Amino acid sequence: MEFLVWLENTWIANEIRTVAWLYPAFETGHYIGLSLLVGGIMLIDLRVLGFARSLPLKSMIGLLPFVWVGFLINVTTGSLLFIYGATNFGTNNAFFLKMSFMVLAGLNALAFDVSVRRSGGAWVAADEPPPLVKGFATASLVFWLCVVTTGRWMAYV
Amino acid sequence: MAFLEWLQGTWVGVLVAESLWGYPLLETIHSIGMAMMIGSLGLINLRVLGYKADLPLLGVRELLPLAWLGFTLNALSGTLLFTSDAVYFFDKWTFRIKMVLIVLGGINAALLGRRVFAEAAAPGAPAVPVALSTKWIAATSLIFWLGAVCAGRLIAYGP
Repeated sequence: MEFLVWLENTWIANEIRTVAWLYPAFETGHYIGLSLLVGGIMLIDLRVLGFARSLPLKSMIGLLPFVWVGFLINVTTGSLLFIYGATNFGTNNAFFLKMSFMVLAGLNALAFDVSVRRSGGAWVAADEPPPLVKGFATASLVFWLCVVTTGRWMAYV
Repeated sequence: MAFLEWLQGTWVGVLVAESLWGYPLLETIHSIGMAMMIGSLGLINLRVLGYKADLPLLGVRELLPLAWLGFTLNALSGTLLFTSDAVYFFDKWTFRIKMVLIVLGGINAALLGRRVFAEAAAPGAPAVPVALSTKWIAATSLIFWLGAVCAGRLIAYGP
């Protein structure tokens, strides 16, 4: 708690409180990042699951840089928003759930990545994702939608 | 104005405004629909602009159902959110700008559909490079939709 109080009183947190347009600007950035991150991940996962088959699987997995840009935007804007209201967000159950789902989504993405590398990309080229990989894609969709949901709910609990 | 006041007094408007779950649930759906729409339309527009040339131009049509699903989710959830406080929303410039941007984005999407997909998909049509004017439509589409996201988020803060 002391740490949260300290965070909330840092120069940057005070700046966000003083300059009225900063908070809305970061929130807007967070939504743009959300669109890139979750929009991109959704396209990749759905493609792995068999949606839009005329788009090559390899090219769609190639959308990952987009996802990373969205992720970086949201880590940055999210951290700034958090600092602003650290004592509120840091004790918010929806925030803990959101972070938990992000860890799960991250581990799941790691497992996906490992299975792409282990297979040497064979199933990617053949467009035949093994059932395990389809499982990762499904879990990824679920986890990220949970991240969005719990994030939105932070304002209400 | 009388219509807006009637709207927010209907049982739907009151339910969204006063129920514990209604508003956050609709906002969540609105966020997810947004990601679907921006993800799929964004990729279509970027492809028309020449990004990810390894995706077949006509193939990106297959993303349209996802865009429509996102649009439908957001039209429904957005309308319901609007009914909860119709007078307030209609009075906001951020809301009005958002609506204009959505109409412009819709017009552009229809134009793009005709130019790129309908014409290029005609039997025997040669694989011609995307015309510069078509690229302008794609570029402005990206601006309109991202602008709609920004204006939408700022309804809570702006005038």
